[in-house]
Amino acid sequence: MSETVIEISNVSMRFRMNSDKIMSLKEFVTTAMRGKLQYQEFTALDHVSFTVRKGETLGLIGRNGAGKSTMLKIISGILKPTEGSVVCRGNVVPMLELGSGFDFDLTGRENIFLNGAILGYSEAFLKAKYDEIVEFSELGAFIETPIRNYSSGMLARLAFSVATMVQPEVLIVDEILAVGDAAFQEKSKKRMLELMGGGTTVLFVSHSLEQVREMCGRVIWLEKGRVRMEGKTEAVCDEYML
Amino acid sequence: MRKAATSEAADGARILGRLSAAVLPGYVLLIVLFYFLAGEQLHLRESRGNMGLPPADSGTVELTAGSTVEQAFTTKIQRLESVSVQWGTYYRPNAGTILLELVDLRNGAVLLSGTFDASAITEGGLTTLTAEQPIEGLYQVPLLLKITSPDCQSGSAASPLMNTQGGLENGALTLNGAPAAGTLCFIAQGTDYIWTGLHYWEFAAVGAAALLAGLFAVWLRIRQGRRSYVINAVIAVKKYRFLIRQLVSRDFKTKYKRSVLGMFWSFLNPLLTMCVQYFVFSTIFKSDIPNYAVYLLIGIVAFNFFSEATGMALSSIVGNAGLITKVYMPKYIYPLTRVMSSVVNLGISLIPLVIVSLATGIQFKKSAVLTLFFLCCVIIFSLGLGLLLSASMVFFRDTQFLWGVLNMIWMYATPIFYPESILPENFKIILRINPMYYFLKNARLCILDGISPEPAVYMQCALMALGALAAGALVFRKSQDRFVLYL
Repeated sequence: MSETVIEISNVSMRFRMNSDKIMSLKEFVTTAMRGKLQYQEFTALDHVSFTVRKGETLGLIGRNGAGKSTMLKIISGILKPTEGSVVCRGNVVPMLELGSGFDFDLTGRENIFLNGAILGYSEAFLKAKYDEIVEFSELGAFIETPIRNYSSGMLARLAFSVATMVQPEVLIVDEILAVGDAAFQEKSKKRMLELMGGGTTVLFVSHSLEQVREMCGRVIWLEKGRVRMEGKTEAVCDEYML
Repeated sequence: MRKAATSEAADGARILGRLSAAVLPGYVLLIVLFYFLAGEQLHLRESRGNMGLPPADSGTVELTAGSTVEQAFTTKIQRLESVSVQWGTYYRPNAGTILLELVDLRNGAVLLSGTFDASAITEGGLTTLTAEQPIEGLYQVPLLLKITSPDCQSGSAASPLMNTQGGLENGALTLNGAPAAGTLCFIAQGTDYIWTGLHYWEFAAVGAAALLAGLFAVWLRIRQGRRSYVINAVIAVKKYRFLIRQLVSRDFKTKYKRSVLGMFWSFLNPLLTMCVQYFVFSTIFKSDIPNYAVYLLIGIVAFNFFSEATGMALSSIVGNAGLITKVYMPKYIYPLTRVMSSVVNLGISLIPLVIVSLATGIQFKKSAVLTLFFLCCVIIFSLGLGLLLSASMVFFRDTQFLWGVLNMIWMYATPIFYPESILPENFKIILRINPMYYFLKNARLCILDGISPEPAVYMQCALMALGALAAGALVFRKSQDRFVLYL
């Protein structure tokens, strides 16, 4: 069980930022001509290193702008780090924010396939798991309705069901646990715990320390792009509260 | 670790095996199919040595019995097919017989001869000697075009026209045995052999050898345990095939969702556009292009695809910002799927094209199939441009407005509803640098004229399309890592 799944070594991420984002050619040319094209270096992550072992649930905590989301994006391959290397074994499935990856004009069924494809599942797998997904989402007959008619709770249930129906090697959760009614919340929490028990590595980002304490075995506390503290959940959370 | 590498090599070899099994027969099939479809145009083209009609500014002599008009000339036509002479009638009815002869000056042999009725000649009209079989072996051979009459009377005889400004470099005009300055108004036409066409099978063999060498190189790379771009590409296609299909069907399903006629609009749209433009340009502007409806529809279908594909690809990265910042997948998939959904539309809009063609009495020849080649060129060209635009859109949002204008200019710079002949000579440069013009012109040639363009044209069009794709892919590749920062 101690196989390393994610290995982050010495990762730095620096953004070159203009005072404000230049979005048009005209603006670009005029500012460049006035010689005001100044770049500000902004360091989102500063030589961060850590490893995540298989089956672990790692919590990332920190204040806004500490670099948590940047870290997740680097792990899932969306961002390339300026420096350092990331090794990730296995497929990374991000738990999408509500609605992104869904097309509101399509039915629930079509969206399961679309969203599944976007998350990298194969066609055969989706077909095999389709019934299970529908059942878990508790959508019943609504599955053939365009999802623009869904309530936000129904959408959340659908999204959650699609994302967790696999045993992804790495699941990235960016605070979306509180979906649906109390019963579904309970159910989804159970599902998460099930996944973790099944060997899935979970990266969990949340501002709710309560959830972190409940779900995570280990916590990394990021502050201003550096690892401030790393260790057992209780110890780090207690320190963070202070 | 060692074991993993071996199994990877085995995987690669298996994929390569399947790839070869698909590619090689495909290549042979295409080569043979093209040979069959291109037909005569693969070997012969209109001769570059064709001699055009000099503008007439004078008559020669009144061609009565006993008078002769002789024009010596040489041509660079490999297979001479016809010689014509232009006539003046003095604006009166004439009578009698005219004898036209083409003589080989090397041995005095008469190659072609024919008699024409002088009363049938109109002012500025042509009489044409046509060879039953094209005459070969006359390349740069001194020839003489001799015009005589056995029985024409003065007062009712016609006169061959001439141009008094400068004579031919290698042939003189003789009127009644006396040399004269100037040129007879005559045309010599024929065809030339196409070198590439004559060596078609050799070229095909060279292509096959190159293909085999490429596959062999890939195999060597796999043997050495290195990764090959080709294998990676095949794996990527397999891996993302399902996703691409889902995204294309999403685009297609949502496009006409909630409309009553649904996908029927893909069919109806080009038809309605054609009707409007047909009405405007054939009744108001009096265009005299033969088969104007089909001419128009080919232009509309192809250019609509081009605008739609590039326009959709343009916003593909920016429009999917929500996904790109959340899920990793190769970013080229977004513009690619947009272009592919436009291809589906293009396929549907070919149906009205076929219907209108049949309704207006176009006989589809086998060359019509070759239109698909030029449509493929349009598709690849649009994909290249789409990649370029989608990348540029991320960094400069002005691109979409700029492209709107450019697209409109491009539409007017392409002969969609007007014939290319209405452009004055100094604007022709616009056509020469416009790839869409070449694609359209040749697609029309294949359908309307029922003949294939010459082989070099295929190469030219393929190069333009692939060049655009290469440029677009390069820019996209270089900039894709920075997309996320600007979304």
